[in-house]
Amino acid sequence: MTDAGNTTRRDAPLAAPGDGATHGLGLPGDVNMWVFVLGDLVIFSVYFIIFMVYRAHERTLFLESQRHLSLGSGVVNTLVLLASSRFVALAVQAARAGNPDRAMRLTIYGGLCGLLFMLIKIYEWSSAISHGFTLQRNDFFMFYYALTGVHLFHVLLGVIILVIMLRELRNPHLRRVSVVETCAIYWHMVDLLWVVIFALIYVMR
Amino acid sequence: MVNSTIYMRITRIWIFLSAITILSWALGSARGGKEFSPSIPITVGVLAIAFVKARFIIWDFMGVRAAPTWLRLFTDTWLATLATVILALYPY
Repeated sequence: MTDAGNTTRRDAPLAAPGDGATHGLGLPGDVNMWVFVLGDLVIFSVYFIIFMVYRAHERTLFLESQRHLSLGSGVVNTLVLLASSRFVALAVQAARAGNPDRAMRLTIYGGLCGLLFMLIKIYEWSSAISHGFTLQRNDFFMFYYALTGVHLFHVLLGVIILVIMLRELRNPHLRRVSVVETCAIYWHMVDLLWVVIFALIYVMR
Repeated sequence: MVNSTIYMRITRIWIFLSAITILSWALGSARGGKEFSPSIPITVGVLAIAFVKARFIIWDFMGVRAAPTWLRLFTDTWLATLATVILALYPY
């Protein structure tokens, strides 16, 4: 629980009330992670806009192709990532409250949700490929595999970052709240991007 | 006590986000006469749900609600711009 000299900010687990709507003082996590996250959001926005431009030109093809996707898999994966975000958000609160055991448990649950997401996605891809809906099929499937593929890579990286978060919490000499917050921010970004991908690729008409 | 309030708030938000995901599913499954025909109400509804979810994730899970003004402004501007551009490109 002690971490003298190891933190850059919010060094004590009790330091941050976190959710208070009126506090608005400190930046959660590390500023470099925020720069990365905001940059990634902008890059993904460009992907989304390009997708929309193609979709506008080939609307019938995109709608016809979309119906071959498994909407159920998309929904389940959205629910899985939302659950993982909840676990990780709760883990941050537990770390702030000086309860590393609870924080570790919640981080593990969050990571397991990430693994489940990957398994469902791989199953979904293999099912689509087995039915002939490959990357080369048309522009819609090119976007489908490209966007969900780049996102899946982010999920994989996110799981690795959650492992780093777990190691941080496990080591009594570390347990820096700022590091825990930084890892969590990345994980929530993964969830955030998926929410938009799900709407654009699976559901909108 | 403060913490249990925060935990409950996070859980309430999660339940809400999961519920509107199910609503999105119901909208996406609606046939509306012709199968997978373009639908402005479904699209607007689904996108609105997505951006509501995105804002809760940013503000409450990422903690931007309690972050400095520049970050709140940046994330809100990003979200509003993306939503506007996507909707503008939809009928184009």
